[in-house]
Amino acid sequence: MAEPYRNRMELLQGTLDLLILQTLLWGPSHGYGVAQAIRANSGDLLQVDAGSLYPALHRLEKQRWISAEWKVSENKQDVKVYKLTAAGRKRLTEERSRWEQITDAISGVLNPAARKES
Amino acid sequence: MKQWWNWRKRESELEKEIQHHLRMAEADRRDRGASTADAQAAARREFGNVGLTKELARDAWGWRWLQDLFEDVRYGLRVLRQNPGYTSAAILAIALGVGINVGIFSVLNGFALRLLPIPRADQLVSINQVLHGHFSRNVHGEGGLVSYPEYRDYRDHSNVFSQLAAYEPFVDVTLAGVHPEQLLGALATCNFFEVLSEHPAQGRGFTDSDCSTPGGNPVVVVSDAVWRQNLSADPALIGKTILLNHTAYTVVGIMPNGFTGTEVIPTAFWVPITMQKTFDGAGDYLEQDNLSWLTMLGRVHPGVSLKQVHADLSVIAGRIDQRHPGRSTSLLIAPATLFGRPDERALFLPIASVVLAAFGLVLLIACANVSNLLLARATARQKEIALRLAIGAGRWRLMRQLLTESLLLSLAGGAVGSLLALWSFEGIIRFVMSALPREVSTLAINLAPDFRVLAYALGLTLLTGIAFGLIPAWKSSRLDLNTALKNDGMQSGSGAKSGRLLRHTLVGAQVAVCMVLLLAAGLLLRALSYAQTIDPGFDLKHVASVALDLKVQGYDVNRATVFTQTLRQRIAAIPGVTEVAQAEDAPLSHDWSGGEFSIPGKSGDLSIEYNRVTPEFFSVIGVPIVRGRNFGPNDWRGNSVVIVTEATARRFWPGEEPLGKTLREDKREYSVIGVAKDAQVSHLGESDSTYLYFPATPEYSLRAFVLTRFAGDPAVTLKAVRDAVQSLDRDLPADVARLEDYLEVWRTPSRIASGLAGALGGLALLLASIGVYGMVSYSVNRSVREIGIRIALGADSSKIMAHVLRYAMRPVLIGTLVGTGACAAVSWILSSLLFGLNPRDPIAFIAVPVFLLLVALAASYIPARRALRVDPVIALRYE
Repeated sequence: MAEPYRNRMELLQGTLDLLILQTLLWGPSHGYGVAQAIRANSGDLLQVDAGSLYPALHRLEKQRWISAEWKVSENKQDVKVYKLTAAGRKRLTEERSRWEQITDAISGVLNPAARKES
Repeated sequence: MKQWWNWRKRESELEKEIQHHLRMAEADRRDRGASTADAQAAARREFGNVGLTKELARDAWGWRWLQDLFEDVRYGLRVLRQNPGYTSAAILAIALGVGINVGIFSVLNGFALRLLPIPRADQLVSINQVLHGHFSRNVHGEGGLVSYPEYRDYRDHSNVFSQLAAYEPFVDVTLAGVHPEQLLGALATCNFFEVLSEHPAQGRGFTDSDCSTPGGNPVVVVSDAVWRQNLSADPALIGKTILLNHTAYTVVGIMPNGFTGTEVIPTAFWVPITMQKTFDGAGDYLEQDNLSWLTMLGRVHPGVSLKQVHADLSVIAGRIDQRHPGRSTSLLIAPATLFGRPDERALFLPIASVVLAAFGLVLLIACANVSNLLLARATARQKEIALRLAIGAGRWRLMRQLLTESLLLSLAGGAVGSLLALWSFEGIIRFVMSALPREVSTLAINLAPDFRVLAYALGLTLLTGIAFGLIPAWKSSRLDLNTALKNDGMQSGSGAKSGRLLRHTLVGAQVAVCMVLLLAAGLLLRALSYAQTIDPGFDLKHVASVALDLKVQGYDVNRATVFTQTLRQRIAAIPGVTEVAQAEDAPLSHDWSGGEFSIPGKSGDLSIEYNRVTPEFFSVIGVPIVRGRNFGPNDWRGNSVVIVTEATARRFWPGEEPLGKTLREDKREYSVIGVAKDAQVSHLGESDSTYLYFPATPEYSLRAFVLTRFAGDPAVTLKAVRDAVQSLDRDLPADVARLEDYLEVWRTPSRIASGLAGALGGLALLLASIGVYGMVSYSVNRSVREIGIRIALGADSSKIMAHVLRYAMRPVLIGTLVGTGACAAVSWILSSLLFGLNPRDPIAFIAVPVFLLLVALAASYIPARRALRVDPVIALRYE
């Protein structure tokens, strides 16, 4: 089996935040679950390593865009579960529109002819 | 605290979170078919650096700095504990440097910065006037004081004070008794104790009725000290009368123990200001508008700022100025301290700055010592530091850790030093004070540490830590990793080039600073010996002097003349007495009179001091009359004659015969009948001995000195003179002293200063010597290997010795050169304080550098010799 292409892309800190917030929009999850979800939804392209993920999660928690709770899993283990807050939801919207602005800008530079007026 | 507890909790949570992640990753892999071991390994690999992740997560919490600080402190303490020798050496040096600085600051603080020791002292302000423009003013005391009418103006028209009081400090009176005593008290307005919010422990303070009529209420409040020492702590003193200057005063109150008034010199008693006429004796001050004699002290309403006080009072000052055209008054408003008047402060500030600077320099030398110590240690720790840098510690992080170590050292040293200082300075000051003349031997300064002293101690400690720690820390973090790790720790030669330069610069700087301090100390010491041996030009020994203030005792001119004549006769009859004379001022007694004299017909006044003496005066003090004659019996009535000194004659009539010439003062003319030899009769160390002698006519008997030359036992003679005075008037205080003692008073300030300078200089020399010795021997020790190699290769040992010595002495020599330049500047500044000593005094300039060079020589010679003796094989292996 060929190794799936791993693009260990250095995600900008802002974009990682965006991905995490978006992932949590679908429902609360623990850290490992968030990483798996991002990987799955990006078709294995984006593999967030723990060294980026956990600092990001803690940062977001400090900013109160996500909140954390300790729950007990089925295996009787303590699990820290993150959830999106209302402020986080708002932040997500802002980040999304910013992201779209940036991508539009980049496309505009790459394809000047196909530039759309929006 | 809560943060810290949270932090521990968060740490364990983070750990759990990461463990959970790893377990999940492992479980996933196992599901996909890997073995347990493989799954675990793969999960770990994929996770990455756990430690790094944790650190980054901690960063996100924002508590990184706190945790780092904690770690730094722990690590630093461990390092310091492992090297007790170097730690204690450093702490000792710092304790010494910081300790003396904190001590001297607490003294200065007690003098000038501390608020008065009374309740709510922050509401008290002192007010002084500064007069500008064209004006004439009578001054009794200092120019910044106010008159009674001016005080009433300020009091009645200002809105900022809840109470404004005025007082005249340092009123000198005689307390009658078995042993009459001189006391220093104050004349105060009757709201004085209100303003201070301090009330007598027994009896009462002043009421408004006590100040209602001038001269009408002879009441007095005494201090606790006077009650105990002079009035034998009489439990029923309230209501009794005491005699002050022959006037009866009823004691109405006794102040609590520990209250010494509002001046640096303790106040003995307080009398209502309306009783002014019975003191001073010079007239009624109360109604004089243009006389400076009162200090004002006010308690402001809560919340009023100094600016508001200034604005409010300036309006009143302006109105007062209108009564004196051409004059403008500005005001100095300041929180009330013990030493607050502008004249006092002007005296105090330059001295304080010089003292602080000198002590600071000693601290600097100590810092250089410690810095060198750290640099030496840093070289030994190169491997440890290189390793840490190689693993990935940031240079800034490393520097922070080294700085933390330095700060720990300085905090320890500073704490030890401050404690020692605060504990011992009280004793030292008392010792110094006991050497002062009696009038000032008790000063009411509080040396207990207040927040200002503590803040100074803390600030100085931190600054010290940074000062000596910064450079070694910075240098250490800039290590070249390659060489440091490869080397076995011992480099050939004495270390990297820049390291050597730094160490040598520090040594040179130490030498230079030490030189400056020692030169200053040396100059002061030489000035002291000069002052001790200076010949005032007249014979001080075997002369007794007694001061008589008969006016204050209620004598009139006739009675005084009879008194002094009889006294002189009685004293002349004492066995052993050879001459008795009377003078208005005793030589070197701090009392002097002066006037403006000119030659009739010529313009230009000369300000000359003079004395009024009886003819025996010249033989009593041993100043011969070299030309002309002495005063005779006819000169007492109306003849206006004068005896000039040689210098005066040269001044007025250079090259001419002075006898018969005329001098004019104001409207009176005097003819010169004699010329006396030059002598420094008034101020010691004056270069211009112009002086005049007038005959002591009867009106000058009211306040005079009686001088007695004797040949017998001083103690016996002094007692006999005292008895003679008391036999004529029992209530007259007879303060008989030897003329030599006046000389002591003149010498005391320079003696104290020199003692201080000597001690400081000695300390500086000690520190610098230790520093020089340590550094030089360290350098040489590091060259042991190199020396061994050279000897093994066959070099001549004497040549090596010469090379080592030369090399080691170089920084000291350079420091000497720099120091000499600095010394020249400093001595030029000091020359104004010294008795005509040549500022380029060669002995001090030469002795100090020679001494330090000798120290450096010894420091390099001993280890070098040891190195040369050692078997080269051992030397090569020397670590």
